[in-house]
Order: sequence, then structure tokens, then C-alpha cells
Amino acid sequence: MIDSADVPEVLPSSIPVPSAVVSTASYLWFYFITFFKMIPGAHYVIDYVKKSHQDDPYRTFVEVLLILYSIVYFLSKPKKKGAVDQPKLSEKEIDNLIEEWEPEPIVIPDERTEWRLAKIPVVEGSGADNVINITRNDGNEAYSSVFNLCSFNFLQISRDPAVVKLAKEIIRNYGVGSCGPAGFYGNEDVHYNLEHDLASFFGTENSVLYGQDFCIASSVIPAFTKRGDVIVADDKISVSAQNALQLGRPTVYYYKHNDMASLENLLHELDEAEKKEKLPAIPRKFIVTEGLFHRTGEIAPLPELVQLKRKYKYRLFVDETFSIGVLGATGRGLTEYFNMERATSIDITVGSLATAIGSSGGFVLGDNVMARHQRIGSNAYCFSASLPPYAVRTASAVLQIMDADNSSVTKLRHLSNTLFELFHGDKDLMQYIEVTSHRDSSVLHFQLTAEQRKLKFNSSIESVFQESQYQQQHCISDYYLEAWEEEELLLQRIVDSALQDANVLISRDTVVLKQETLPLTPNISICCNSSMEESQLLDAYNGIRSAVIKHCSGS
Amino acid sequence: MISIASTRVPLIPPEDIPLEDKKENEFGQLTSQEYLYQGKSRDGKALQDPILDAPAYHVTLITYLNYLILIILGHIHDHLGLTFQKERHKDIMEQDGLAPWYSAFESFYVRRLKQRIDDCFSRPTTGVPGRFIRCIDRVSHSLNDYFTYTGETSMCLNLSSYNYLGFAQSEGQCTTAGLEATDKYGVYSSGPRTRIGTTDLHVSAERYVARFVGKGDAMLFSMGYGTNANFFNSFLDSKCLVISDALNHASIRTGVRLSGAAVKTFKHNDMGALEKLIREQIVQGQSKTHRPWKKIVICVEGLYSMEGTMANLPRLVELKRKYKCYLFVDEAHSIGAMGPTGRGVCDFFGIDPSDIDIMMGTLTKSFGAAGGYIAADKWVIDRFRLDLTTPQYGEPTPAPVLAQIITSLKTITGEVNPGEGQERLQRIAFNARYLRLALQRLGFIVYGIADSPVVPMLLYAPSKMPAFSRMMLQRKIAVVVVAYPATPLIESRVRLCVSAALTKEDIDYLLQHINEVGDKLFLKVSTGKAGGSLDGKPPRWDIEEVIKRTPADCKDDSFFRI
Repeated sequence: MIDSADVPEVLPSSIPVPSAVVSTASYLWFYFITFFKMIPGAHYVIDYVKKSHQDDPYRTFVEVLLILYSIVYFLSKPKKKGAVDQPKLSEKEIDNLIEEWEPEPIVIPDERTEWRLAKIPVVEGSGADNVINITRNDGNEAYSSVFNLCSFNFLQISRDPAVVKLAKEIIRNYGVGSCGPAGFYGNEDVHYNLEHDLASFFGTENSVLYGQDFCIASSVIPAFTKRGDVIVADDKISVSAQNALQLGRPTVYYYKHNDMASLENLLHELDEAEKKEKLPAIPRKFIVTEGLFHRTGEIAPLPELVQLKRKYKYRLFVDETFSIGVLGATGRGLTEYFNMERATSIDITVGSLATAIGSSGGFVLGDNVMARHQRIGSNAYCFSASLPPYAVRTASAVLQIMDADNSSVTKLRHLSNTLFELFHGDKDLMQYIEVTSHRDSSVLHFQLTAEQRKLKFNSSIESVFQESQYQQQHCISDYYLEAWEEEELLLQRIVDSALQDANVLISRDTVVLKQETLPLTPNISICCNSSMEESQLLDAYNGIRSAVIKHCSGS
Repeated sequence: MISIASTRVPLIPPEDIPLEDKKENEFGQLTSQEYLYQGKSRDGKALQDPILDAPAYHVTLITYLNYLILIILGHIHDHLGLTFQKERHKDIMEQDGLAPWYSAFESFYVRRLKQRIDDCFSRPTTGVPGRFIRCIDRVSHSLNDYFTYTGETSMCLNLSSYNYLGFAQSEGQCTTAGLEATDKYGVYSSGPRTRIGTTDLHVSAERYVARFVGKGDAMLFSMGYGTNANFFNSFLDSKCLVISDALNHASIRTGVRLSGAAVKTFKHNDMGALEKLIREQIVQGQSKTHRPWKKIVICVEGLYSMEGTMANLPRLVELKRKYKCYLFVDEAHSIGAMGPTGRGVCDFFGIDPSDIDIMMGTLTKSFGAAGGYIAADKWVIDRFRLDLTTPQYGEPTPAPVLAQIITSLKTITGEVNPGEGQERLQRIAFNARYLRLALQRLGFIVYGIADSPVVPMLLYAPSKMPAFSRMMLQRKIAVVVVAYPATPLIESRVRLCVSAALTKEDIDYLLQHINEVGDKLFLKVSTGKAGGSLDGKPPRWDIEEVIKRTPADCKDDSFFRI
């Protein structure tokens, strides 16, 4: 039992409070203190509180208030953000709203654009042959012994019987698929060897293999950029790189296509702005461009780019899908073309094994640190199965042949130049069309001249781009550009005439316009390869020429 | 200093063994008709809500402690390294005014935790990844900084490859077809599909795939990841909503992000949460403007590759119909491997494929080929052929791969070698059920449903991952260990991928070794509530007893919770 004398009076008797309340409070306080003292170290706390109360009674009052407030705050229900202005709906109203909601169809068929489906050629046999049989429009149109100017297998080395024999031997020893991602037993000895071969062929420290060329840029750039990083890109880069810039979330600036003055101005401006900002750490900065441009076939001025990147401390990213195997005396790409070393001039090179090298997949070249990080941070590498072993071994063999003998590269260059001269030197043709590609590009790109576009469709590259941007930004579901469509149809008529009258297969540059975020024009491309003859090119040229004149002359 | 030549992975010549042995190493002969299991369709019956077995508190505590120690050591290491060994840490420091490729903070986990166990990943192999996989021996230096190679190889039992139906073979009808296609079409496929890349072989392969999955038309792509990563932008924009399972694969997430569509996630396989979310989203509309969504797409995977769980398709179809949403199912792991006739989740649940709007899948796994497909109604695919970027800009699937796809599909449906496809399906079903029930009875925590060929076995503490992987490699078994970020932080696991190429005796061998290693590493922590125990007591069966009784028991659904 507790003696009531031990219980102190917590409230002074001078204040008129009912004695029952006083004694209850006193007892509660007493028990609290008694139990509190049992906790080891509690007397320190009590001493401290007493002392603080002695020094500054006001502070005790404030602290008690604070404790009370925190208890009230803790117990009160949290208010939902933004819940204030939302009307409370009854179950019935919700059901009605759900009933009323009508979604759009999953895709919207559009007859105005679907003529393209019937124009896709289906090749019987390999599409890499020079003379092929094709059908179109679900087999309703058939063409035999067509001269093929569409294949990207520029060097034709992977069709060498020795290479095919090796590929078959690998299938006999490894099977077809690799059945696993690179990190989990999917990369076999042949994969590591190709990575080694690529690095030594191109003179870089390391290389990384990917399963598909189109995925690489859009996976590599996001692996190295995050919010706050800076990318300065050419305004004619391909869709793959455009996607990359969107996925990586860096700040993106565009400079005028291949215009080094525009680039320098931009870099200078950015540099000044950065100096003012005083960031805690330097952001990662990249210049993104292409070796031979996908859409125009022009060559990026590497020496100037390298000079600028060194001056302004940027890293250089170059997509060499079309330049590897084509540019340079031995097909080592853009750097060889300008007599520069790859390891010191380009920081990230993206290349394709499915163009000039003639296998499947793609690769990235660069230094060890970059490669190592990519093997962990790049989605398309980590989350996808490795390339089939036979494709990898084929690529190794092609590199070996390229290293020993550059005759196909030389021949390809000769043919590319011939083709370029034929078109570029033709005054009649140049009234209607404009060749945009470089003379050394194995793909010749041509498009209507700006005047013809204005005359025939009353449009320009800018007007099409503006309209396209508007529709993209407003998420117009039945995206359609009349001027673009008509120009594409005209080009398709040229392609069709060349096929029907001259038995020559060329192709429009097929694009998905609503995914393109940069200005572009409809385009036709003509691909040559090292197994063609000059006379064949001349015949093809005559056929294409008359097709162009047939459809472009007259208004 | 080690020369560059010794760090290069050697090219291993093929083994000189008789053809019969080679075949047997790639695909083991069935040892008894007992070891087959014919699955049945569920006729539209939904799955029960899953029960997840959680380990005792001390296991969780030790796991966190384990991470804490590793992280503290890592920071000490970093601090000392950046103070005294600047030369070795150049890659995370600014140099000549250039930012490092990656910052010290971003790469901490990779440099200080993952690198310690890098010898468990990217093990180079050679030959066919079939029943056995030939791993190239390597020696690690400076804490996995680099490896050297002795030139020796070890034949390991393969529990790591996605070779579900055992089509990774270098002998047999698929290889013959692959070789013929190489002769006729070459190794190369010329250019984008819409320009020149479409051959008659593509057309017929697409027809076979469409018919196999039960859709009007299909498109093939040369890379599985790329199929998803460049798919969603073709039909979604920022006024559309994607409702995505929390555990969807990175390729789906990348693809959806690229499309700009809004994304909401729901807890893995929680159908209640999904319904609530759909209702809320239809009522609320777009996040800022509150205009109605243009369309809502529910994205799920058929079989989740890290969990072994399946999408609850009957419930999903019901919800999708009720709320007029579209359903996208990624069948990367389930196509070929699940269902009585191998046609994936629809087959497994007995659901008409027309109830799913878009079916995506890969051809890398069950079919031993490469790439992926998208299947839908013909009018939808016709639009996709023009609106998808890959066929317009990217490379097409090469001919040998197409030949492998066509022939393996024909084998499964019985058009080629009648009976063989059925046997493969029955073998993988038996192997998956046997391994799963046996592990549960031994006392391990295993996630997923009975028929899943992916059998994830929980290890918890991160240090047990390398221990398990290395001990298994010593015992000539190749396994895959996975941890954060592919799994929740504390749920490090080993993922066993069962194949039809394995025999029952191979699984016995595996079980004996897992049992031993499991005892040494204290991995038997299950309570039995998620399977393996009928009386509610934690199962800790003796290995002999397990091997004797499980092959018969595993055919009985009452031992599983499905």
C-alpha cells in the first residue's frame, strides 16, 4: 500500500480545483514517476528536466505544448493531396461513368496509307542476290529475274562459300539459338572471340555485341545519360538515336545538319551557360551524329567534330551502321576515311553486323570502362538473348577476310562513285531530283528538288514538319499528312515503273512518319554492292532515269 | 602483369565423341514411360490466390545484416581507395574536364557488391546449351577484375538455359532444316522487312506462328527485347494509359516509356487491386486534364521469369471485357513450355486466344531459335506492319533461325516426327512438377505454380548466392543466381530452368546435390504452407524418401496449390 503522504500535490492548493481531480492527477503522476524511475538511466532524464525547468520555466511550457501538438498531429488522419476538389461519386455514378466510357479501337485502319502493304516485295530465295524473283500484293504481282538494288549486303563477303561452310559447321556444333542472355551462359566462346576480333580490327580497347542493330543506340545512350546530362545532336539523326534521346532523359540540343559553325556556336553558348550555373559536378556531355547518314548518305566531318569535342570537353557518339565496311581503304569506317585513330577520336561507335559485314546483330566499340558499364547498364544487352553462334562466327570470318584483302571494299567504292556520277552528272534528271548522298556512299539517296515539291504538292520540308509536329503533339489518332502522302505515292510510282519497265528493284526509304521527330523528306535509295558490274549499273540507271522522267515531267 | 592473350576466351574445338553420345549430351533419352505427365486444360478456371512462404524472422534479419556489412565494407573500401589508390579508381573520377562514365554513387552496388560475385555471371560456354552445357574453366584475379583461361572445359548439367523443350540441339530435324535454309538463303537477310528483307520463308514462318498461337496474323522480329522495346509507340500516345503488372519485364517498361503513354502499376497478380485501379482510372481520366483516356491497355506476362508465377488469365479476361480495356500478354517464357499442347497460357487455362488482343512472345526460349513475335487479328497486324519501327528500319530475322522456328513448331504440333513433340511437352511438365515438389518436400522455399518450368528457389542472404553457385559448379551443375535489382532486396534466389532434355535421373542427381548444399548453407527454411506439406508442419523429408515417392506424387494436383 502507498502512504498518501508520499504522494506529492501536483497542483498548488491556491487554485480552486475540485479535490477529487487533484488527488487523481497526483496519484497518476506519482505512479508515472515511480515506474519511470525503474527504467535504467531515467534519473538522468528527470534531473535534466528539473534543471531545465529551474533555469527557464517558459521552455517547459513550450515543450509540453510541442509534445501535445505532435500527439494530435500523429493521431489525426492524413489528408489526401488534391482530394479536396474531387467530388465524391456514388457507386452508381461510377458505374455509369464506366458504362459511358468508349475507348478508341486498338489501332485505326486507314486506307489512305495502306497502299504501302501491297508494295512490300516478297523475295523467293535470298534477298541478297543480285538477280531475284519477287512477288507483291499477296502474290498477285510476280516479277522474275529482277535486278536487285535494295540489299544492304554491300561487300558480299558473307556469301563466300568458305564463310557459308563455316556457318554450317557452327550450326552443326552449336545448334541455332544460344538460349540465354549474355550474363547467364548465353555468351559462348565464339561471342567473346568476335568481341575481341572487332576490337582489334577497329583498334579500340573493347567491344560489346548486341542482338539487333536497330536497338543499340536507343539502349546505349540511355545507359550513360540521366536527367541533367547534355546531348548535342545533329538534326538529321536516325529514329534509333531519336528514341535514345527520349529514353535517356538528358537535355537535348540540335545543331544544323553537318554545320560545324552552328555546332561551335551552340557548344560555346552551352559552355558559357554552364560556367554561370556552377554545377556541383560536371554533367556527362555527348555529341551525337552518324558516320554516313541513314536518310541522306552524307558524311559527318569527323576532324572538326573531334576538334570541337576536345575543345569543349564532350564525348563523341557516332552511329556507323552504313559507314563501316564502306568508308576507308580497308572498310574500317569513318576514322579510316579521315586517317584518324578510332580509339582517340570517337568515344562510342555503334556499328551493325547486318549491313556491310553481312551477318546479324550489331556492336559497340569503345574503351574498357565504357564497355564494362554497358554490360551492366544497357538494357538491350542485359535483357536479351545472345546472338546465334553461327551469326557471330560468320562475322568473325568476314572481318578476317576484310583484314587480309580489301578488294571488295575498293570495288564497292568504284561502283558507288560510278553510280553517283551517273545520277549527279545528269542535267535532265537534276531538274527534278536532287542526289543527297556522298559519292563514296554505297547507298545513293535522291529526293525531289525543293522547287518540284513546291510546284507539285505546294509543300516544303518545313511545312510538312510543322504539320507533323502539330499532329504528334496533339496525339491525333488518325495521323495523316496529305502532302507527304502524295509525294510518297509519286516516288512509289517511280519505283513501280522501274520495276515494271526496266526490271530493276529500288525502294523508297520506308519510314514511320509519326515516330520521326525531326524534319525529313520522302526519299528513294539505290544500293550497290561489290559483286555488281558497271554495265549492270548503267542499265539500271537508264531504267530508273526514264521512270523518274516519266513521272516527274509534266505537272 | 598478365598478357592480353591469356585473358582472351579460347575458341574450344568441338569434342571428338561418337554421334550417339553427342545426341545424348544434348537431349537425354526418356528412361521410363512413368516419367511423363500430360497436363490438362483448366477450362477457364481461375488460379487461387497465391500463398507466399516467408522465412523466420532471423533469416530476414541476417539478410539485412549481410547487406549492411557488405555496404559498410564497400564504403570503407571506396574511401580508402579514393584516398590512397587514385590510379585504380580513375573510372569514377573526373578526368581532363570530362565527367566519369558513371558516378561513384550510381555504380557503388556494381563495383562493391556485384563485382565480388562476378565469377558467377557471364561464364563462357561452348557448344550446344542442351541437357549438358560445356563451361570453359577460368581463373579469377584481383577479386574478379579479370579472368584467365586454362583451356579446360567442364561438362555441367544445364539448369540455366531457356531450353524448355530441348530444341537446342545440333542433330535432328531442326538442324537439318537450318542447314538447308543456309544453303538456299544464306546467313544474311539483306535489309529491312518493308524494303527487301521479306522472303517466302518469313511469310510462311509468320503463318505458322499465327496458326500455332491461334491468331489471325503474326509478325516476326530478330530480337526478343527489341520486339517489346519498339512496339508500344506504334499504337499508344500520351493520351493512352498502360496498366502494368509491377513485375513486368524491362523490355515492356522501356517500350511503354518510349510510347509516352501514362503508366500505372498494380501489385503483382493482385486482381482486386487491378480492378480498383481500372475503375478509378476510367472515372478520373487523364491525370491533369481529366479527359477520358483514349484507350487502356493491361500489360501482363504469361509466365514471370523470376517468380514462376502465371498471369491469372481467366480473371484478366473477365476484367478486360467488363471495362473495355485491351489485353497484352507477353508469353516470352510460357509459349511452347506451358499448356497441354504447348500453346502457352491460353492453352493452359483453356481460354480462346481471341480474348487476348495482342499476344507477344519470344522464339529464343522454347523453340531454340532467336527473336520474338507479335500476334493479333489480321487487320491489327496489317496496321502494325506500317506503324512499327523495327520492320522499316531494323534487320529481319535470318533464314537459319526461321527454319529452326518452323521445324520446331511443326515438331510440337506433330506435323514432323509425330509423337516427339507430345513427348517433349510431357517430359517438361513432369520434370517441372517433380523438381518443384521434391524441393518443397526437402524444405526449400520455392515460388511459382506447379507446372512452371522456371523454378525459383529462395536463398535470401546475398552471400549465399556465390556460395551456392560455386558449390553447384564444383558439382558440375550450371545454375543462375539472381538478386536485387531483378528481385526484391532480400529475396535473392537461384533460378532453375527445367528442360525436356533432362532425364529423371538428372533431376535426382541435382536434388541430391541441392540437398547437401542446402544443408550446408541452411537453406531449408520453409514452413510448408505454400506447398510440400499436407499436415501443416514444416516439411524436411529425407532425400531417399523424396526421390522414391515424389515421381508418382507429383502427378497429383492435390500436392500443389494451384
